Amino acid sequence: MAATPPAPTTGPGTWKSRLLSHEMLLFYVLIALWLFFYFAGTTVNRRGVTVGFGTLDRQFDILRHSCEIGLLALALTPIIITAGIDLSVGSLLGLCAILFGQLWHDGGLPIPVAAGLTLVIGALAGGLNAILITALRIPPLIVTLGTYSLFRGLAEALTRGSITYTDFPASFLYLGQERWLGLPTQAWILFAVAIVVGVLVHRTTFGRAFRTIGFSPEGARYAGIPVARRLALAYVLAGSIAALAAIIYTARLGQAKADAGTGYELFAITAVVLGGTSIFGGKGSVIGTLLGVAAIAVLKNGLACLPVVMRMNAAEEMSGLLTGALLLFALSVGGMPQLWSGFRPRASATSPLLPPP
Amino acid sequence: MSPAPLLELRQLVKNYGGVRALRGVDFDLRAGEVHALLGENGAGKSTLIKVVTGAHAPNGGTITLAGQTVSGLTPATARALGIACIYQQPALFPDLTVAENLALRLNVPSPAARMRWSDCRARATRLLARIGAEISPDAEVRSLSMPEQQLVEIACALGSGARIVIMDEPTASLTQKEQHLLFGVVRDLRKNGVGVIYISHRLEEIFALADRVTVLRDGQSVGTHPVAGIDEAGLIRLMVGREVAPIYPAAESAPGAVVLSLNQLGCRSSGVSNVSFDVRAGEIFGLGGLVGAGRTELARILFGLTPADSGTITLGGQPLTLRTPQAAVAHGIAYVPEDRRRHGVVLDLPIAHNLTMAIHRRLFPTTWLRFGAERALTLDYIRDLAVKCSGPEARGGSLSGGNQQKVSLARWLATKPKLLILDEPTQGVDVGAKSEIHKIVRRLAKEGLAVILISSDLPEVIGLSDRIGVMGGGTLRAILPGGSDPHVVMAAALGTTA
Amino acid sequence: MKRYFRELSVLGALGAILLGLAIFAPAFYQPQPLLSLLTREAPTLVVACGVALVIVCRQIDISVGSIFSVCSVCAGLLAARGWPLLLVLPASVALGAVFGAFNGVLVAGLRLPSIVVTLATMVTLRQGLNLVRQGEFVNLPEGIQWFGLGQTTGQLVLVISSVVILILLALAMRHLAAGRFIYAVGTDAEAARLAGIRPQLVTFLVFVSIGALTGLAAMMNLAQSPQVQPLTGHGLELKVIAAVVVGGVAISGGRGNLWGAFAGLLLLACISPALTHLRIEAYWEKAIQGTIILLAVVADGLRSRKGGN
Repeated sequence: MAATPPAPTTGPGTWKSRLLSHEMLLFYVLIALWLFFYFAGTTVNRRGVTVGFGTLDRQFDILRHSCEIGLLALALTPIIITAGIDLSVGSLLGLCAILFGQLWHDGGLPIPVAAGLTLVIGALAGGLNAILITALRIPPLIVTLGTYSLFRGLAEALTRGSITYTDFPASFLYLGQERWLGLPTQAWILFAVAIVVGVLVHRTTFGRAFRTIGFSPEGARYAGIPVARRLALAYVLAGSIAALAAIIYTARLGQAKADAGTGYELFAITAVVLGGTSIFGGKGSVIGTLLGVAAIAVLKNGLACLPVVMRMNAAEEMSGLLTGALLLFALSVGGMPQLWSGFRPRASATSPLLPPP
Repeated sequence: MSPAPLLELRQLVKNYGGVRALRGVDFDLRAGEVHALLGENGAGKSTLIKVVTGAHAPNGGTITLAGQTVSGLTPATARALGIACIYQQPALFPDLTVAENLALRLNVPSPAARMRWSDCRARATRLLARIGAEISPDAEVRSLSMPEQQLVEIACALGSGARIVIMDEPTASLTQKEQHLLFGVVRDLRKNGVGVIYISHRLEEIFALADRVTVLRDGQSVGTHPVAGIDEAGLIRLMVGREVAPIYPAAESAPGAVVLSLNQLGCRSSGVSNVSFDVRAGEIFGLGGLVGAGRTELARILFGLTPADSGTITLGGQPLTLRTPQAAVAHGIAYVPEDRRRHGVVLDLPIAHNLTMAIHRRLFPTTWLRFGAERALTLDYIRDLAVKCSGPEARGGSLSGGNQQKVSLARWLATKPKLLILDEPTQGVDVGAKSEIHKIVRRLAKEGLAVILISSDLPEVIGLSDRIGVMGGGTLRAILPGGSDPHVVMAAALGTTA
Repeated sequence: MKRYFRELSVLGALGAILLGLAIFAPAFYQPQPLLSLLTREAPTLVVACGVALVIVCRQIDISVGSIFSVCSVCAGLLAARGWPLLLVLPASVALGAVFGAFNGVLVAGLRLPSIVVTLATMVTLRQGLNLVRQGEFVNLPEGIQWFGLGQTTGQLVLVISSVVILILLALAMRHLAAGRFIYAVGTDAEAARLAGIRPQLVTFLVFVSIGALTGLAAMMNLAQSPQVQPLTGHGLELKVIAAVVVGGVAISGGRGNLWGAFAGLLLLACISPALTHLRIEAYWEKAIQGTIILLAVVADGLRSRKGGN
């Protein structure tokens, strides 16, 4: 039997398929959105000053405001690639914000120490998720639904629903309210975390393991991949990134309270899914996630600059509505080929609700 | 003029995307006959069944049932027309009880119909008794063993009152005892005028049971013959289109030092007890026995998937405790699992990723992926094992069964193991790839690897092994020399003295 | 019965809490507050029944809270325009069914993951409602609160009708073939298809049912106060999913029943009054709820681990 020499690879990776990849399509949509708001949302006021979407200040504002959700989305990307989910990141942000405030205000610790401890606490909270998911093999959806309640509940209980920590020193607020090297300070942190997560997911064996687990947890186990440890890494990492987001949130608003980050998990998941990461696991990219975050941020802020929306005073609702609609649209477009072809390769084989082994 | 056949297929065509799975199949089934369907993997047998049972719609050709042409077949209408199917993998509902499963499978009630649980239970009891199975109708299916689930499937087919019963590799997971029950059911059905389509890779079953046999090759039927008028060589000739002598590559070197030594090994949770044997470098140690004998369970112990709780494992003179697959891999143990599609290869990932999965530590010591090195290594193995694919980026799922098996094997060869455990390496693999895999295994042994070969294919395990350990009831029953008389091996597996 | 171990253990926990309350806070058992508690939970029970169906079918629906809000506000607006109760009720149910059908088309027709689909509908509906109503309350006309029956009668009507719905659905799940279809699809959709069931249709209809039940629940909520506030239904989805999961309905589909969900709901509902009566600060409620969910799933995890494989 003659060996067939492997043909040179064409197929995936050609320029045509790259230009039509999910990330690129999202990129085109983002550019189109941005241009639309640039022209429709920029006005010159009576004193001849340009205001609205087209100003540099506004662009920095968009960046500043999308950092926390961006961090949570980055935290969720590896998890969703393993076919898992973490609903608790928003609640954990709240809990960490409170604990950070307590450590600094009530505990009298210097800010850097309090921040370091907060990161450790975030990692431990992620570790709680990880233990329940890996050691007891409970589906991540339900574990993190439980911790979603627990973390937010602890935050409320610790503050009795009313205490707010404020009066942080200016040196700390610099992190959330000033610029460093021309960009909002926290944006640098976002970029750094994006690079770390991007490298982890795309350029290391850890990312390989995440993908393998996402496609076939059993297959990963039979290949000698330490499935439980890799999953644990993803959840612990998510916990510490959520804690980092809590610190940035506190620095941006100058206050820490129990309802910090409420509902952020939904925006983060939306950004990740919009960015092309498959909720069934295996597929996904960090670039896609960043584009997803950017699309949501531009939509939200751009709408606020449209004269029509300003008159209605409903930017928040409008952007939420459009984000949801955008997600539904992205999903439906992605689902159409399956409707046509009549049979699907893998959707029924795995369910995002099922536990990893 | 005989009456119209129960089922007649004319020029049946089925395409999946661009792939032509069936390209004009002719087939007919008469009342009261067992008609065997034979063909290499990928010849189109499973597709044919899916079309006949209405699971997939054909793209062309006609299906005629008892003289009536039918179109737009769905699983429900196929059943209403009297077609029942026993699948290779039981298609039961694990969370429901046996009685509930039978009730749902036997006749799909209208949604508003009331379920009469006492009737369902009584019928389930009756059917299970008729095939001689000792299964409680109240047991949840998840608690049953694979052969028991298969028996429930058989009860379904029996109870449906179908005129046409399709059996897709029904003996694949049955033990000897259940096979006898099954054969009884098949003969019973034939006597009652039911037409049975019987699919099996095991030629001896076909000769024992079938009246006629149709061979499929590359999505076409290449001939229908009465079983009485054809022999084994003739069938194989039809299947592969060329002569393949069932010759096994011979051992060329004497085995070296002892690599693996098991002493009184056992694991209560998987039913393995008191297994002792040695495997030497350069030796192929066959593990024969019937399904359920504990061979895969033993392999899972050696690979750290279900840790042992008694006895010792010694590898290269060093006693080991294996609690995880990672530990087994680190000690140079490799396991090519039985279920290729679920455990052997990750279907959605490229060949390259599949191949380097077990050697991340060695190939990427800093955890940083080196794509060039990975690609070079993959190309080496593709060439070495003659994997037919479009390149290292081809997805595992795009390969045929035999080539998937080679990728799974290559993954473990890349770990440079001391001990290689092969679990049913040629099951569901076509004849050509099968003999290639045999040659590779022999070559590996010659290069000094210790090989444990688990196989239910008796000629294979006898022909390829240097020594054969025969297992039964979770323990080692006998160690026989390679090339032993098959009857002696079978007798040992059954626990009788021949 | 090994098969119902989980339901029985939830009942045991519920019994323990009720007993604890009987000993330490007998005031809990005064009829009027108890009836009020049950009335408050009546709409939740109806939604929980729907969510149990969805989870048994191996799907999930987190848009019920938003559907609940939208149905409440729309029904309120119709009632405020003078529509009679007998028209508002079916209108609310129909509206819920339409939203459910929308989810159903995306999940069953386009085969998209239900968690993402319902996440998207949840956000869209909630923000859409905020956009249109800007947080305005709807004042209801006379005769809507308690269906014009007076408080106690109205409360009894609500509680009894929710329990009747529970009983009917539970019986249907057990004794109608349709119920077995849902279990079959939730266990293994492909096997169900081969058995002649149409899994996509079953999934679609399950989503329609949960929509309709949510619409009904919105009406049952509407009847409890003179106003509709648009935030009603916030967080309902998580509360209901928690109750259903605590009640032993497996998130992996095919297992569990409505009685368990009922017990789980009662268990969670008793926490808040138990806290007040036991003089623990109410801020702990959410944390304790989370702990109970985690304990329930940990118990499941330990049990399935001990049970082999």
